[in-house]
Amino acid sequence: MTPLILEQARAIAAERQCITLKLKETLIDCLALEKEPTDIPDDCLLFGVGLGLDSVDALEIVVAIETEFGLRVEDEHMREIRSINSIVDLVQNNTTQEKEVA
Amino acid sequence: MRLLQDKVAIITGASRGIGRAIALQFAENGAKLVLNASRSSEAMDATVSEIRALGAECITSIGSVDSEVTAREMVKAAVEQFGQLDILINNAGITRDKPLMLMREEEFDEVISVNLRGTYQCSREAARQMMKQRSGRIIQVSSISALSGRPGQCNYAASKSALIGFTKSLARELGKFNVLVNALYVGVIDTDLTRKMPAAVKNDITKNIPLGRIGTPEEVAGPCVFLGSNLSTFVNGTTINISGGGYT
Repeated sequence: MTPLILEQARAIAAERQCITLKLKETLIDCLALEKEPTDIPDDCLLFGVGLGLDSVDALEIVVAIETEFGLRVEDEHMREIRSINSIVDLVQNNTTQEKEVA
Repeated sequence: MRLLQDKVAIITGASRGIGRAIALQFAENGAKLVLNASRSSEAMDATVSEIRALGAECITSIGSVDSEVTAREMVKAAVEQFGQLDILINNAGITRDKPLMLMREEEFDEVISVNLRGTYQCSREAARQMMKQRSGRIIQVSSISALSGRPGQCNYAASKSALIGFTKSLARELGKFNVLVNALYVGVIDTDLTRKMPAAVKNDITKNIPLGRIGTPEEVAGPCVFLGSNLSTFVNGTTINISGGGYT
């Protein structure tokens, strides 16, 4: 791996870490979860097992993602809202696309 | 007292009749308006002029409510122009009355699409904004046809009945976000449509109404102002009957 690619990979990883932390803090706040960000694993499922959220909580999550990350969650994105990691992918992919468009 | 001072409202089907009356009463009560109609018309221009003459801010958004694009643009226009969206009145509706045996599939679908799908599209888009604001009101204009049925209105009555279930469900979904969802059972009202009715039919209808007359569009607008205002902060998931006691 060349130094430039390595640097880019590090930047992407750092950005992902930032988004993950912000997402966990946002969910804890909007869903009034009695947890710390470190209590929630990155691969934690949101519904059923995992955080045990329901469909009304899903609305809260959509509102939180749109408000915090400035995205519009379209119908085709809804299936991505299943775990912390999958939402971070959604945010990262869409903010990357927006940057490319800009 | 201006009950809707600085509230931002979208009113669909606002160029004539009940929609126009709601728009005017909202303007008199201080609301800023986005008015929708399926197409541009002199009636719409006249309504906008009347509203502006009252000193109220008003913009228009033209397009059929059953289109996702129209719904999205209406909400976008409200937020871009006025910074928020407080009230959505799903008033746009059509009739294609015919006995079931003569009703073509397109006539059934068209009514369901405008009256029910239109409410779905507009409510969905408005709810997205209102949930973020943690505040909002969605009001569906249903009909006493949903309560009592009427010959020739299988399509219309089905669409208006559906709005009641839609209202109750959405009220449960959005209550947590302080978005209140209610409906109106609107009775026989003096509009272009009822003016075309034969006198005998009108007399028959009037006989069944304890108040001895049909209603005016302004008498529908009043309850809309109430449901949009801070006088109704604990009213949710219900339907107000505006039929002069004729259909309860």
